[in-house]
Amino acid sequence: MSALQKSLHSDEKYKAGKLGQALQKIGVGIAVVCLGFSLVYTLLSDPEPARVAGHFDPATNVGDRWSRFLHAYVIGWSYIFSICVGVFFLVLLHHLSRGRWATAVRRIAEAMSMAFPIVFASGLVFVIALLAGYKDLYYWAHPDAALCLEPAAGAACHEFLHPTLVHKLGWLSPGFFAVRYVIYAVAYTGMAAYFIKKSREQDESGDPQLSEKLRIASAPAMIVYSLVTCFAAFDILMSLAPQWYSTIYGVNFWGSACVGGFAALALMVLGIQRTGRLTHSINPEHYHDIGKWMFAFTFFWAYTAFSQFMLQWYGNLPEETVWYKYRLFGEWQWVSIAMLVGFFAFPFVFLMSRWTKRIVPSLVFFAVWQLVFHWLDLYWNAMPSYDWHVAHHGAATMVAGPLSGSTAYHHVGFSPVDISVWFGLIGVLLVGFGRNLKGNLIPVKDPTLGLSLAHENL
Amino acid sequence: MTDHTHDPVGPGHDDDGHAIRHDGRLYGVLAEYDTPGELIEAARKVRDAGFTEFDCYSPFPVHGIDEAMGIKRTILPVLIFGGGFAGTCGGLLLQWWCNAYSWPWNISGKPTWSIPANIPIAFETTILLAVFTSFFGMWILNKLPQVWHPFFRNERFNHVTDDAFLLGIEARDRRFDAEATPKLLTDAGAIGVENVYLDPDPASRQMPKWIAAFIVASTAFALIPFAIAAKARTSHSAEPHMHIFPDMDFQPKYKSDQAMDLFADGRENRGELAGTIARGSLNADDLFYRGLDRSDSGGAWTTKFPAQLDVNEQLVKRGKNRYEIYCAPCHGFDGRGAGAIPQRVAATGGVWLARNLVDASNPVAIHMPNGQLFNTISNGYNTMMGYAAQIPHADRWAIVLYVRALQRSQNASLEDVPPDHRSGMQMPEAPTP
Repeated sequence: MSALQKSLHSDEKYKAGKLGQALQKIGVGIAVVCLGFSLVYTLLSDPEPARVAGHFDPATNVGDRWSRFLHAYVIGWSYIFSICVGVFFLVLLHHLSRGRWATAVRRIAEAMSMAFPIVFASGLVFVIALLAGYKDLYYWAHPDAALCLEPAAGAACHEFLHPTLVHKLGWLSPGFFAVRYVIYAVAYTGMAAYFIKKSREQDESGDPQLSEKLRIASAPAMIVYSLVTCFAAFDILMSLAPQWYSTIYGVNFWGSACVGGFAALALMVLGIQRTGRLTHSINPEHYHDIGKWMFAFTFFWAYTAFSQFMLQWYGNLPEETVWYKYRLFGEWQWVSIAMLVGFFAFPFVFLMSRWTKRIVPSLVFFAVWQLVFHWLDLYWNAMPSYDWHVAHHGAATMVAGPLSGSTAYHHVGFSPVDISVWFGLIGVLLVGFGRNLKGNLIPVKDPTLGLSLAHENL
Repeated sequence: MTDHTHDPVGPGHDDDGHAIRHDGRLYGVLAEYDTPGELIEAARKVRDAGFTEFDCYSPFPVHGIDEAMGIKRTILPVLIFGGGFAGTCGGLLLQWWCNAYSWPWNISGKPTWSIPANIPIAFETTILLAVFTSFFGMWILNKLPQVWHPFFRNERFNHVTDDAFLLGIEARDRRFDAEATPKLLTDAGAIGVENVYLDPDPASRQMPKWIAAFIVASTAFALIPFAIAAKARTSHSAEPHMHIFPDMDFQPKYKSDQAMDLFADGRENRGELAGTIARGSLNADDLFYRGLDRSDSGGAWTTKFPAQLDVNEQLVKRGKNRYEIYCAPCHGFDGRGAGAIPQRVAATGGVWLARNLVDASNPVAIHMPNGQLFNTISNGYNTMMGYAAQIPHADRWAIVLYVRALQRSQNASLEDVPPDHRSGMQMPEAPTP
């Protein structure tokens, strides 16, 4: 017998209690161990020698040892950032569409998206490196690049920078980059803080007008959210290959982010239930819907990724296809194939079934699977740029900028730092989650809570 | 609909003369419940009593009714998956058959069969067949369209799209009992239970003749375009095609090169007036515009470059860029006359000759003065057409310069290379014994 409304179970444990503190301790532990290992490993490692034949000179021609660390850091940072972006999407969409089913998990999503301040604080590592003039991360930050903006620079500049890049240097300058970074931080943090604050106010007052207020706020917030997500993806990931053009890049990043966000939400909800909390309120119906979103964005990611690839492949313009040249030939092609099969084909086929989403262990398997491949997606996007820095450091192709030279010298060149930095930043993310898991874990006085508790997928 | 308006009757009262006056065989019983919750409870009791031939009717989907009635999950998702998969395979097969098997066509040397190019079509056919399966599968599994049902004769059933929650059990169920079954429904909380009888007239259960006639006629009309297409494939016609919009096809105006009786010469075009020249078309500089050098023996091809142009590396690069757009398709990137078009024509068994511009053994183009090269680009040579319409004068000179550079570089010796660039360019010397 199903009812349209249910009230909160009388034995339900919906208070966070010490949960947040415990999660923060775990997070700090992981972050200290993994980031510490990464720093030590990088300090002790030898700089990677340049690989282009005829240009190898051990004395001068070596890659910078921090370049790999910082590339891994940008990837790991994009990872934790994107998970917050994905989870926050559920909060916004729930209000915007007058959602019902997600009310039971909304407070958890709100708390997770409030990790934005810590995420943005951890990103200061590469912003400060950039401001300090470090050039082996973002090629456009090369100190000489600024000279090309001088009116007298002329042809000499084309020797040094690719012509298409010269036009982008007004946007891609360290100072402006830092300003935008602050804008993104303020926008995300402000929106996430507003939504959790009003939601917690409703826990006290039970005022149904607050729901209406949040619904009205969610429309402009969604617009701001879309814009800052796109531009953040352009700035932080896409500008690693600054000559390249792809207008759908931000959307593609967002698709991947939402896969990661919903997968992380499923794991977080399950983790909270494992501590004996919310055991009556959240059931396979809610996991099913989280799984549906994960499935939908798995396909959405593939759709946008193929849209990006297909147009550039067919158009066959050198300034566009060159980005794929490094990813479809040489060693990176195996990563590309792994993405196609692992991030799309396999989860797509299996998540299609109702039961893979309703049977919780199966959903957990796919959530973990997609969280790993979401990282690989970012790795695949960013790391070939590092490889270019190493392969062509000091070589003649350097003047043409990233996306030049032969793929023959390109290697995936896997390093333990790639994984340890990623895990370390996950620790940072857990601290961000833990800081906000306090008070009620469910919006106890939300007018739609009854509907959400009684939610059933037909 | 009948005027069957009597009150609900219990078991044993269906022999009432008024009630069965227009009725035939008993079809089933119909019970009405007050709320969706009571309907679910009743459905569960009917299911537990072992009935299978029954159904519930409500104005909106009732959560939990499937489980209460003991309905298995629909197989529609499996069918849709099958339809979608068939769409993917069919879309790929169609493209392979058209592009790579039945009618392979070389388009700029692109492969006839390439998966990325086929994905969008395969995606669309996947969606198409999945949606078709979903739409028509839903109709078929729901036994739709159903234009007639015995329950339509019952007054209560009129409210099923409004506020009535009904449960009907068919008399053909093997557990059906004319007395016990209505009692079961009443005990389950029905606010009314009625027997429903079939109409004694069999004609009322058949599809109206006009609907059948409409289906036959519309099917016949739909075949007409196919019939016309089939006829056109196997017949020839000397008639001009139909003009559906004649006033668009034959507009009251003159187009270029038409006949016209207004002027004495019968032509619609008017030539230039004698002694005039269009604004900006004077082109008095023979050297720049025609490649002629007036100062040398009265109009010979010039061997110089016009003074308007700075002969520098930038001009060579401009010339290279224009050459590779306009000239390389035939003459080749190296100027040896083996461009993509001659190669492709040769591959299909034809002949397409393009001048080797850099051949030292047959140096026609090498010996041409600059002005003649310029004139050749402008006005053509043998079967080569002129490019005056496509390429501005300055760009034609840039191409001349680049052709000169090609002729030099393709016949260069080591001495032409600056000494500090020579390393690695020599052939290995023959080993001395």
